[in-house]
Amino acid sequence: MSMKDFNFRLLEFWSDFRREKAGLIGLGILLFSVLVVLLEPVFLPYKDVNGNWRNISYWEDNSDSAPPAWTNIFTTKKSATTRQFDKPAVTEEEDASYGPVKMYSFPYKYGYDLPPLDLIIRARASGMALMLLELERPDGLIVNLGEMYRDGLEDDDIRFAIDTESKANVFDFAREYASAEAISTSDAQNIKPSYILFSKTGTDMLSARDALKGEYFLHIKVPAFLLEDENNTLDDVRLVVTGRVSGILGTDTSKRDIYSGVVAGLKWALFIGIITSVISVLIGVLYGIISAYFGGFVDTAMSFVFEVFVSIPVLPVLIVMSAIFKPSIWIIIASLIVFSWVGPVKTVRSMALQIKEETYIEAANALGATKWRIIFKHMAPLLLPYSFANMALSVPGTIVFEASLSLLGLGDPTIITWGQILHDAQVSGATLNGLWWWIVPPGLLIALMGATFAFLGFAMDKILHPKLRTR
Amino acid sequence: MYKWYALKRILRGLFMFALLMFIMSLLFNQVNERTQRTQIFEQVKIESMRLKDVKAEQLEAWRSNRLDQLTKLYKLDRPLMERVLFRAINSLTFNFGNSTVIKSSRGDQDVLTIIMEALPRTLILFSTAAVVQLFIGIWLGLKKAQKPGGRLDKSTSFVTMIVFGMPAWWLAMMLILLFVYVFKLFPSGGLNSVPTPEGIMFLLDRIWHMVLPLTTLILLGFWGLSFVIRNIVLGVLQEDFIMSARARGIPESRVLFGHTMRTAAPPLVTIALLNLLGSISGAIIFEGIFSWPGLGNLYWVAVQQNDIPVLMGDLAITVGLYQAGLVLLDLIYGFLDPRIKVGGKA
Repeated sequence: MSMKDFNFRLLEFWSDFRREKAGLIGLGILLFSVLVVLLEPVFLPYKDVNGNWRNISYWEDNSDSAPPAWTNIFTTKKSATTRQFDKPAVTEEEDASYGPVKMYSFPYKYGYDLPPLDLIIRARASGMALMLLELERPDGLIVNLGEMYRDGLEDDDIRFAIDTESKANVFDFAREYASAEAISTSDAQNIKPSYILFSKTGTDMLSARDALKGEYFLHIKVPAFLLEDENNTLDDVRLVVTGRVSGILGTDTSKRDIYSGVVAGLKWALFIGIITSVISVLIGVLYGIISAYFGGFVDTAMSFVFEVFVSIPVLPVLIVMSAIFKPSIWIIIASLIVFSWVGPVKTVRSMALQIKEETYIEAANALGATKWRIIFKHMAPLLLPYSFANMALSVPGTIVFEASLSLLGLGDPTIITWGQILHDAQVSGATLNGLWWWIVPPGLLIALMGATFAFLGFAMDKILHPKLRTR
Repeated sequence: MYKWYALKRILRGLFMFALLMFIMSLLFNQVNERTQRTQIFEQVKIESMRLKDVKAEQLEAWRSNRLDQLTKLYKLDRPLMERVLFRAINSLTFNFGNSTVIKSSRGDQDVLTIIMEALPRTLILFSTAAVVQLFIGIWLGLKKAQKPGGRLDKSTSFVTMIVFGMPAWWLAMMLILLFVYVFKLFPSGGLNSVPTPEGIMFLLDRIWHMVLPLTTLILLGFWGLSFVIRNIVLGVLQEDFIMSARARGIPESRVLFGHTMRTAAPPLVTIALLNLLGSISGAIIFEGIFSWPGLGNLYWVAVQQNDIPVLMGDLAITVGLYQAGLVLLDLIYGFLDPRIKVGGKA
């Protein structure tokens, strides 16, 4: 079959395929998924999710079990969302106690009913770091949040969480306004700083928590003399507002951003699904052709091997193998191929038996073509199109197999797959605690990928099959 | 003769089972032997603790003696092939030994007892689901085939493709979320409530616990089945003898059930049963979601507890069941298709 022939058949196929609505939907979703995989960094809010999925400290600034941010639309009391600020306004100021200071300011517009859970200041510093933290409220009050002092740093990350480190300062602030009775029943250890900082002042401010909406400024003041010393550097000053709701798909109990995990899992689902089915179907088709063409003893032996593989229940064997050998993702893919090449063999073999008797095969034989030339040049091109539908239809099963292994906790821990996300959800009892944003998206995507390839496969099957029958 | 055909098929199934057991025994030989050695060591330790009034040297001698004895008993001192064969024969005779962690409800550590306790629970769940699926699948498949390209056919085919790659265990999680967390209608899992009620209430309680697992299996199961049945029936409906039957004025229901279904029966039964077999092997995970203590849940527990003997026994029984299913399938096929019995080619 020459290139021209191939192009012609491809065009012919495309003109048929265009009329299959479901097939086009499938193709559309597949192309979009490939696009997402190629442009993954654009879609990822947490760029370093690959490799950091199981790194607890990478996620420590998030809140745990936070619902998606858009759930605010359906609630009467709006919750603050998780946000990150990394571009402070830098000015030179004069401070009463510090003298000349360099001031980093983060404006934060607060328009929610329920305050964030924490404010976290992060920076990268060398040498000595000393900073005074203040929060300027819309009502003009300035709250001293305390000082951060670290020494002996070598380009280290520094972190200051007001929820744990500003309790005393915030309690002092509340003491000025709240009633003596409320203060006497409370102490600095059992208050929640962010609740007080984002509420109106008043005698009942410890219990009422009326949200004070408006624009807040977080000021970070660093003494100017400190930065004049070349040994001391301070870069990359950031503010993280830890909200009660977070991102597109919320967070899990380990504070991980589920949306990032789901996007990062897409490439693995596609990769595992496609590579496994393409290779295994190709093997199966060749196996069927060779078995049929050679016939005799070869056919008997190959049919026997085929029968052995058919009588193996794949998933249980895979589970036991993974449990014992703890394989990497490559070994898992390899064993998936070993067990799933049998799919097309039976059909291909019976079709190849018919083609073998055609006159043009006889003619090729008479012209002195070798066996392998006949198999690859005359039989395989005829039978391969049939296998395309088969490939597409075996992708969903493969994705589900990998997800099932991961669900049992037998996946490769160095990558992120949807099955592993669901495993963590299952282990943490997400179903019984109503963390739907943790369970629905990964499973829905597994199902969506399955549907995509089913659309493609059924459409191709419809187009390619009758043609083969007429030959 | 059908009985020779049946005998041949059963023998081939047994041979295949034996072969698979041998392969498994070879594949997992190392880990099996490691577990066995640990178990022997534990046993000797426990036995030596029971001994009283013995001197240290005597104890040491007794220990090494006993260790040797047990090693010989389990043939751990023999060459590799003999060990593999010995283990394969053990699996074939369902002699799986003792578990390391898992216990049966009576506290038994015999692997076979543990598995036999789980087996009926799996069978009742899956056979009930299979029967319901078959009925819905056949009914829907016939409906679809009667008006191919119609609204019902198109919409149900669309749903079939949507659920094509949906894992049963995920649907199970969703149903738990919906019916246990939101509506609080059903229990989240298990076999019976605690404390277990008696009499008629026991039965009702069991059914109450089975609703969600059954719904999951049925909701996903019948779509693919009805799609395949549609294709087979559609092929038969286009045959000439159907047209002639209709021309003779035979009522449509008899054309459908008498003529069409009889002709379509052999491939239909094959595909339907294959479908079910496939779903059972795939739905193994799903028992764990409902903590339904069957064979599938046993995999979960065994994997988590790293209980190798139970894992091996469970695998052997699953392979055996799968094999039995395949044999049964061929037997029914042979029964329905007379060409098979006389040795002709289908």
